Amino acid sequence: MIRNTIIKATLIVTLVMASSCNKWLELKPQDGLVREDFWKTKEQLQSAVVGCYASMVSGGQVANLFIWGEIRADMITLTTNASVDETSLTNGEILSTNAFSDWGTLYSTINYCNTVIQYGPGVISNDNTLTQAQLDAYLSEAYSIRALMYFYLLRIWGEVPLQLKASSSDSKIEQLPKSTKEQVYAQILSDLDFAVKYIPFTYGSQAMDKGRMTRYGVYALQADVYLWNEKYAECITACNAIINSAKFGLIDGSSQSNWFNTLVFVGNSNESIFELQYDSQILNPFYAMFSPATTRRYLAASRVTDNMYGIDTSDPNKKDIRSDAGFVRASDFTIWKWIGTNDLTITRAQPDSYAHWMVYRLADVLLLKAEALAWTSKGAEALALVKTIRTRAGAVSASEESPDPSNAQDISDYILRERGREFAFEGKRWFDYLRNAKRNNYAHLDLITSMIADIAPPNRQQSMISKYRDVRSHYMPIFLNELNTDKQLVQNPFYQ
Amino acid sequence: MKYNTVQKWIVQPVYLAALVLVFLAGCKEEPIVYNTSESVNMTSYLDKYPDQFSEWRKVLELTNTAGFLQAYGSYTLFLPTNDGVKAFLQEKGKTAVEQLDVTELKDIVKFHLLSDTISTTKFNDGKLPSLTMQGQYLITGAANVNGATRIIINRQANMVTANIKVGNGVIHVIDRVLQPSKLTLAKMIEANTAYSIFTQALKETGLYDTLNIAPASNPDAKKARLTALVETDAVFKAAGFNTYADLKARFSKTGNPRLVTDSLHMFMAYHILYEAKYLADIVSAQSHATLANPEIITAKLDDELVLINDGVFNNIYEPGFTLGRTISDNSATNGVMHVTAPYKPANLSATSGHFAIKVRVPFRVDWDVADFPEVRKLSVFRNTGTANFVKPSATAPFQIGGWDFFYRNASTTIGYVNATGGWVYNDYLNMGIGLSSRADWVKMKTPLIVRGRYNVWICYRTLQQSGNGTYPAGSRCQSQIIIDDGEPLAKTHDFCEPMPSGSTAELEALGWKYYTSPVTATNFNSWVAKKVGTVDIKTTDNHILMFKVILGSQSQSFLDMIQFIPVDAPSQIIPRFKTDGTLDNTPLVIADRKI
Repeated sequence: MIRNTIIKATLIVTLVMASSCNKWLELKPQDGLVREDFWKTKEQLQSAVVGCYASMVSGGQVANLFIWGEIRADMITLTTNASVDETSLTNGEILSTNAFSDWGTLYSTINYCNTVIQYGPGVISNDNTLTQAQLDAYLSEAYSIRALMYFYLLRIWGEVPLQLKASSSDSKIEQLPKSTKEQVYAQILSDLDFAVKYIPFTYGSQAMDKGRMTRYGVYALQADVYLWNEKYAECITACNAIINSAKFGLIDGSSQSNWFNTLVFVGNSNESIFELQYDSQILNPFYAMFSPATTRRYLAASRVTDNMYGIDTSDPNKKDIRSDAGFVRASDFTIWKWIGTNDLTITRAQPDSYAHWMVYRLADVLLLKAEALAWTSKGAEALALVKTIRTRAGAVSASEESPDPSNAQDISDYILRERGREFAFEGKRWFDYLRNAKRNNYAHLDLITSMIADIAPPNRQQSMISKYRDVRSHYMPIFLNELNTDKQLVQNPFYQ
Repeated sequence: MKYNTVQKWIVQPVYLAALVLVFLAGCKEEPIVYNTSESVNMTSYLDKYPDQFSEWRKVLELTNTAGFLQAYGSYTLFLPTNDGVKAFLQEKGKTAVEQLDVTELKDIVKFHLLSDTISTTKFNDGKLPSLTMQGQYLITGAANVNGATRIIINRQANMVTANIKVGNGVIHVIDRVLQPSKLTLAKMIEANTAYSIFTQALKETGLYDTLNIAPASNPDAKKARLTALVETDAVFKAAGFNTYADLKARFSKTGNPRLVTDSLHMFMAYHILYEAKYLADIVSAQSHATLANPEIITAKLDDELVLINDGVFNNIYEPGFTLGRTISDNSATNGVMHVTAPYKPANLSATSGHFAIKVRVPFRVDWDVADFPEVRKLSVFRNTGTANFVKPSATAPFQIGGWDFFYRNASTTIGYVNATGGWVYNDYLNMGIGLSSRADWVKMKTPLIVRGRYNVWICYRTLQQSGNGTYPAGSRCQSQIIIDDGEPLAKTHDFCEPMPSGSTAELEALGWKYYTSPVTATNFNSWVAKKVGTVDIKTTDNHILMFKVILGSQSQSFLDMIQFIPVDAPSQIIPRFKTDGTLDNTPLVIADRKI
């Protein structure tokens, strides 16, 4: 009897204990999702894709894109507020401890893309409403963003590790060696080959079409990548796919204020192909970088306002719309493109600092095509495209050149200068110099060395020219922390 | 079982031993960290890599420096590899470091050491920022050989590994031993037969001795290190001087070149600069003082050329000459030697490389303050409108190159204004100066002014924002005028001060005049000029003129022009200026006018 009671009591206690233990032993977080519960519906897939874009507008990515693309070239100068690392970059004193040799922000976006590419295909088995076409479209966005990120890596570091799998936990982190430039280039093309097949032409709204990668965005990126590797015919084909679509046009430049407002201040214009979106909720990093109301770090170089756009001596009222009150405020060298408003006396306040970062626009595609044409013996066509850009901008005769249509080099140099005027401060300048200098086995290295002779501090000029004559110095070193954590990485030879 | 017993007999002690071992191991002390840093000091670093640095380690031992390089401090060591030391021994005809002269070796070791931590980010085309312990500067650079660029030290060694951080400083590993110069500037110039005319001139003028003193034993600290700009015999010949006698005949006016007042002495002194200035230092400043005080040379970088005395003087371009990159930057014990070379400006014939003091007669400078490069590129320049120039932050440079401006906040400005009512070219500067809410001072860079004595005239518009006409009551904006941080000029200047009445001669005697044509009425809002004083300009150069506010502040203080008129000029008044910038040379006769 007693024994029976004991058994019963034990049973009850065990039951109570066991049931109460349920929550206690639960390992799943109660206030979040784990991967096993994610990747179930197409909405979740979509939000993961959105995450790829979000990673590009946050975490200092765009600030880095500006710095990587401009700081070693000739269009900006640093104020005394610039950091030691920034000054070192402009002085050609780049060490592996320099914070801007850290590629973290790019790989972080790549990891978001890898996650989508790895886990996205599983969603279709859980969510019957997700069609294969939709899935492929989402995957294409991830592939194309990944390609864009690797294209930056290729141009900045040259040889980088190809991380193609998601590192969803610490145990998944792989130690990878560097891949060659050719391997990185091949990976970019293969990602784009997939994307160009499945990515939509449109998402139904202007903001979506400019803020997400579309088929046209992929074409633009393809054109840029092909041109980088001197594949001119492929570049022209990609450009034509955009130009012939008749979906894009150059914003009319007859009124400088309307043009500035549409193209730059509001953004997502008809000229735009892909731009990183900011709004009052997600502000860009430009206020602290460029605003005269802050301890800003960057100004337009005086050669931009002095020489690049030129002045029409016969008619002072005629000016290049991209000069004063366009991309730059000449009176104080403010980088007007990113911080300006429609009133030249007022810059954007901090809460209004949401100018979009332009990645590709039609003008870019036209000039990429012009460059490819120049190198395929179609100089006259190339010059016609340059003229289109210049006419829209009201460029003055002081900046006009008339190279021989059969001289590819002269036309190409003219295009380089025109790109400087058109894409001022869009983070393209250094890459434009590098692409033109390295063409045909660095046949035109003097493009970079003469630019360096011009921008170098007088007491460093000779050393800097010597450094840049070593073409290995055109690529950044691998950040010291990366070398310490990934033992498979080998420092780039110039920095060993 | 027999086997079992045997096994036990063997195995048990093994277990026991293992057990003891475990206990013993368990008793091992936890390692205690005694050092605050794991990094080694310099001598220990050398000990760590004997295969690379054992030879230099021996050198340190021989010169008794191993000990102090092990002590804490902040040093920079240029560390030659074993191969580098071997090459050095070979050059000296020795087989081991022990055979070398210890005193000489000590000098060499000190030449590899700086008492400062200098990483490669501080390297430039010239000397390092600190002296070596030996007392000479090290120079750095970079050279590209077959596409690969390396940092070179003192034109003697290549950098192998840079920026190794150790406990007491930085080590740069180099592939050769650095050797200090043994010649003084005088001896170095004398040693080259291609400089025979220059050498003889140095000796005849006595400047040879000035260039022949080791820095440590030089009684005149200012002349401890000097820079010589040498003209080769070829340069002299191209300029028409075939022998020293030709040079003496041309320059020496007293017949005794040893006299400091003799023109040949001054000619030679003009070729010597104060301090050890490498080309990188020369291009970093616009002008450099010479021993021919107060004459200066001007310097600039044009593309990659170092141009000396090249510039526009009184609206005429005067081509200069260059300092050859490959033949200059020669380190001596007491300075640097550069060699002049011809310069060929576009569309003009080449210069010879020969240069001498130019005799300049003071001339009148009508400085239109509203004309500077930064405003010239704006569309408002001489074309109705306003542009404001600011200082982005307290430490940032002012937007107008060469000028400086007190930073009160981001909205303190100097405005360029072109509007009806302006005078010369219809434009003027609206000086945003004043106490408490505006800029306390502004420094402006003048055009080139020749050495001489000048009256300084401030041409401005009399304007009182409040209490118009009640001066000295009402608004005030009174400044001292200071040139090159010297004493303030005799009179202060006030933008609110009206000109007194009187005839032209009376006004001039009082230090006032009309500088405009036609004259504007002598009431408020008229453009007038006030003489704030007389100044001795000591060097032919660009100078800094400062407005330093001592009383008041107003938002509209209009400055049109500043005139430097030589005191012995035929007239302080004519020519006067029309609004379109043209000159009026007719005398101004005003008998007497009342306000």
